[in-house]
Amino acid sequence: MPKKMLRVNMTNLEAKFEDFPADFAALGGRALTSTIVAKEVDPLCHPLGPSNKLIFAPGIVTGTAAPTSGRISVGAKSPLTGGIKEANAGTPFSQKLARMRIAAIVVEGKHVGKDYYTLKVTKDKAEFINANKWVGKGLYNVYKELFKEYGNKVGICGVGIAAELMGAASGICFNDPEGLPSRYAGRGGLGAVMASKGLKFIIIDETGAPGVEIANEEVFREGIAKLRNALTTHDVTKPGGALNSYGTSVLVNIINEAGGLPQRNFSAGQDDRSEKVSGEVKAEEIKKRGGVRPHFCSPGCIIQCSEVWTKPGGKDPVGVLEYESVWALGPNCGIYNLDDVGELNRACNDLGLDTIETGDLLAVAMEGGLIEFGNGKGALKLMEEIQKKTSTGRILANGTGFTGQAFGVTRVPVVKNQGLPAYDPRAIKGIGVTYATTPMGADHTAGYAIATEIMGVGGTADPRDTKKSDLSRNLQIATAAVDATGYCLFIAFAVLDIPEGLQGVVETLNGVLGANLTVNDVPGYGMQIIKTERDFNKAAGFTEKDDRLPEFFLKEKLPPFNEVFNVPDEELDKVWGS
Amino acid sequence: MTILVKFFGDLRKKVKNHEITDALPLKIQLKSDGIDTIADILKKYAITPEETHHLFVNGVYSGFDKKIHDGDRVGIFPKNMALLYKWYFTRKNE
Repeated sequence: MPKKMLRVNMTNLEAKFEDFPADFAALGGRALTSTIVAKEVDPLCHPLGPSNKLIFAPGIVTGTAAPTSGRISVGAKSPLTGGIKEANAGTPFSQKLARMRIAAIVVEGKHVGKDYYTLKVTKDKAEFINANKWVGKGLYNVYKELFKEYGNKVGICGVGIAAELMGAASGICFNDPEGLPSRYAGRGGLGAVMASKGLKFIIIDETGAPGVEIANEEVFREGIAKLRNALTTHDVTKPGGALNSYGTSVLVNIINEAGGLPQRNFSAGQDDRSEKVSGEVKAEEIKKRGGVRPHFCSPGCIIQCSEVWTKPGGKDPVGVLEYESVWALGPNCGIYNLDDVGELNRACNDLGLDTIETGDLLAVAMEGGLIEFGNGKGALKLMEEIQKKTSTGRILANGTGFTGQAFGVTRVPVVKNQGLPAYDPRAIKGIGVTYATTPMGADHTAGYAIATEIMGVGGTADPRDTKKSDLSRNLQIATAAVDATGYCLFIAFAVLDIPEGLQGVVETLNGVLGANLTVNDVPGYGMQIIKTERDFNKAAGFTEKDDRLPEFFLKEKLPPFNEVFNVPDEELDKVWGS
Repeated sequence: MTILVKFFGDLRKKVKNHEITDALPLKIQLKSDGIDTIADILKKYAITPEETHHLFVNGVYSGFDKKIHDGDRVGIFPKNMALLYKWYFTRKNE
């Protein structure tokens, strides 16, 4: 049985399986979502209108025995940026979809009227079920009920109240292995795109699924062994390593020491109160409270950076508190209390909000005088405004830029209208170049796989040096390639230090695809993805003037080390040679 | 004058006469006499370079030979807390 695509027309509630086009054979994840969006979506369409399409695609090796490969990409034209968007998440949902040999779900059209639907997909059938009873409800209870209704072996993807408001800060929520609504393809308002079509949930039941076809078992198995060896021996990725012991929040203290942990809406880069929300403190609290750490976001992960954070006494599990979420809802809002951060993260998951965008918009709302910096309970009250769908809630649900405009704030940390993540670009300028120039809008993951070795550029750089175009370009290209494979970006740490691991990654791809790729093919593959995305953005009206950071990063010195973002525009434009 | 040294994670156990009761970093105000580089600090606490990964001096990602001055702030992370920097940046030495 070859791979297929499921095309879902929400206008007339029809879903049909199509052959997977032969020229898409080597595409998965982000390569596939961006290719389909570029091919089928008018760059000038309204993101929340009938012409936009929402694409779900597991990665190339997702659903196989390849370790740490449970990612799913979601793509569309973004209502937040107005450009192309790919957001991805690690979740069992992705693996189920891949094992059913569904290479992509393409959701198109728009249901007329106010009804919402659940799309239930089984091995050879897709059906629509009215979902109106879930409207206005928090996702923690809804996911519990959905698992009761459809059985605990299904995978669930859905959108919450923020998406019902057509909020550009809304994400698409996937279940974690515990069934919690905690794994998000968060960025860019893709939740609103899904809700705009009248689609509330997708339920995947993989009963009878054939599994992912492996073209060359021997090559595939050899590749897995090499990758597994790299992941289990490297200091960052091995059991007991940095990610496994502390989760991504190991970065809180590191970035604070570097003076690049943004505080109170990017007004300082260091505050030692941040120590109270560090990965070390969180790991110890989870142990005390009877939460889970380490934990995997999807079965088969070796790194296991995830966790289940709870209230004291192990009550009310939230799911993972990622570094960027802790930063956004913590230090960026002047909040240095993990219980407040945990409850804000719960509110985001429950309402279907991107945590980074939410932390940014809350900090901007604080600067705009809605509440004081540091007021965790007040921030939770603002979340209630969204839950109650009040006018204030509707403003907030539309993201950082919209909130800044509504409340007269001029220090608004966005690129292409998307909120900046947890690394101040004045202290870590390479990441600033990526924020400015990625087709996605400010996004740290767009240039996180460290690729100087792959790309043959060689050497590493001073974080405060301004010559960063080569570094950023190479990171972005390599990341785009990783985002197509279904592997988690964090395998990069191991496979760049251990060359056999990288060879193993390529062998697993060859094993699945029956191809003869080499490590040298990676840059071309990644560049093609970026080119597709940039061409879409250009046709949507973007120019090099959109590849810039907000003015205040250029003029306002970041305490305590008093850096500004002084990378010249020409250096930014050198990234893509535009 | 003193140097503020912050030990993170398991490296805190290398500092004698300090009880570890929580998960916060251990902050030591160190007399600057006889301390010329980060290597001197590590030596003082019998920490080998292999036990460390990220080192910061006043926010600058640093190597073992980075000079230390009065009033500096030094952050020393153990091997199992490495993320991000080693793969992006070169260590600054003097």
